[in-house]
Amino acid sequence: MLNELLFEFATWLDGFQASTNLHEALYAYGWVEATHVLTLTLFLGMLLVIDLRLLGVAFKELPASTLMERLDKPMMIGFVVMIISGILLYFAIPVRSTQSIWFRIKVVLLIAAGINALLIRNMTRSADLAWDNDPVPPKRIRVGAGLSLSLWALVVVCGRNMAYDWWDCHKEMPYFMYWAAGCVNELAAFE
Amino acid sequence: MNVVPFFEWLDATWLASFAKTYAGLFSMVQAVHILSMVMLVGMIILGDLRMLNVVLKGVPSDVIIQNTKKWIYIGLVGIVLSGIYEASAIAMKLAYNSFFWAKMAGLAMGIVFMLSFRSAVYSRAPETIASTGPKSDAVEPWVVKLVASASLIIWFSVAANGRWIGFS
Repeated sequence: MLNELLFEFATWLDGFQASTNLHEALYAYGWVEATHVLTLTLFLGMLLVIDLRLLGVAFKELPASTLMERLDKPMMIGFVVMIISGILLYFAIPVRSTQSIWFRIKVVLLIAAGINALLIRNMTRSADLAWDNDPVPPKRIRVGAGLSLSLWALVVVCGRNMAYDWWDCHKEMPYFMYWAAGCVNELAAFE
Repeated sequence: MNVVPFFEWLDATWLASFAKTYAGLFSMVQAVHILSMVMLVGMIILGDLRMLNVVLKGVPSDVIIQNTKKWIYIGLVGIVLSGIYEASAIAMKLAYNSFFWAKMAGLAMGIVFMLSFRSAVYSRAPETIASTGPKSDAVEPWVVKLVASASLIIWFSVAANGRWIGFS
């Protein structure tokens, strides 16, 4: 059901001339993708700085709250650029992306990373962070920071692997893989 | 200097045939290359934006720069090792690829610049930037900002040229 809906949505996007134009424009598409990858250095770079501090392995001389509060803006600027360029990349190749197992895992990981970020934010929001100046924060904070870095690293792995066609719908795959990737036409052949 | 024989040699090594054989492992190494870039360039951006007084203004700059060093080196090791692995699989393409050579030139420039000018100038940043107390050997603020801007441009060019190898 969801697979059909997503496929219909992707097919609808695919009908736009702008989608085809962007996909076929070597320089425009290349620069959107390059922007998506290069902005990682700003977004994940700032996230790395904050998480390494929360892990207690770097910037230990500085209060954790200083880094979290003041690097939030550059990090979020990077995040917004990542989202916009990501949407454009999806718009340029909607059907294949929708039926990419890597893209699907990536979206799930993004949601997990978002929930984890909210949990960390809740744990660090209280004005009286007793451990703010401690070189090594409490265990629950370190677990959250470790989880954050791991999830985002996996997001990068999935994004990178989207370029490969190992598990594209046109490949010979078991039923489960067709279902997981949302290959509605191939699934219909099983009926 | 003719460098093509080096790439012919690299192309014939066991590493090249190994890298060409396992596509799944190759994509993982590519991810390591990207993640190393995040660590290397992310830490450099932090230092450069700090010296431009864009982020963390008022926080002693020595503390920031000192803390980034270790991660810059870890990132460099990761990016060079994964880069050699990736290069071995497409050695003959790279030998004649302009973007690859532009990237290598930028990388060499970036490393030399970081260890020389960037390091020397940042440690002599004036009080208005560094917030570490008055120094007798402080340089003018515009010198620090010029170095920070140059650093950002160099590393941007390395990453952008790297991305473009795949499109060329």
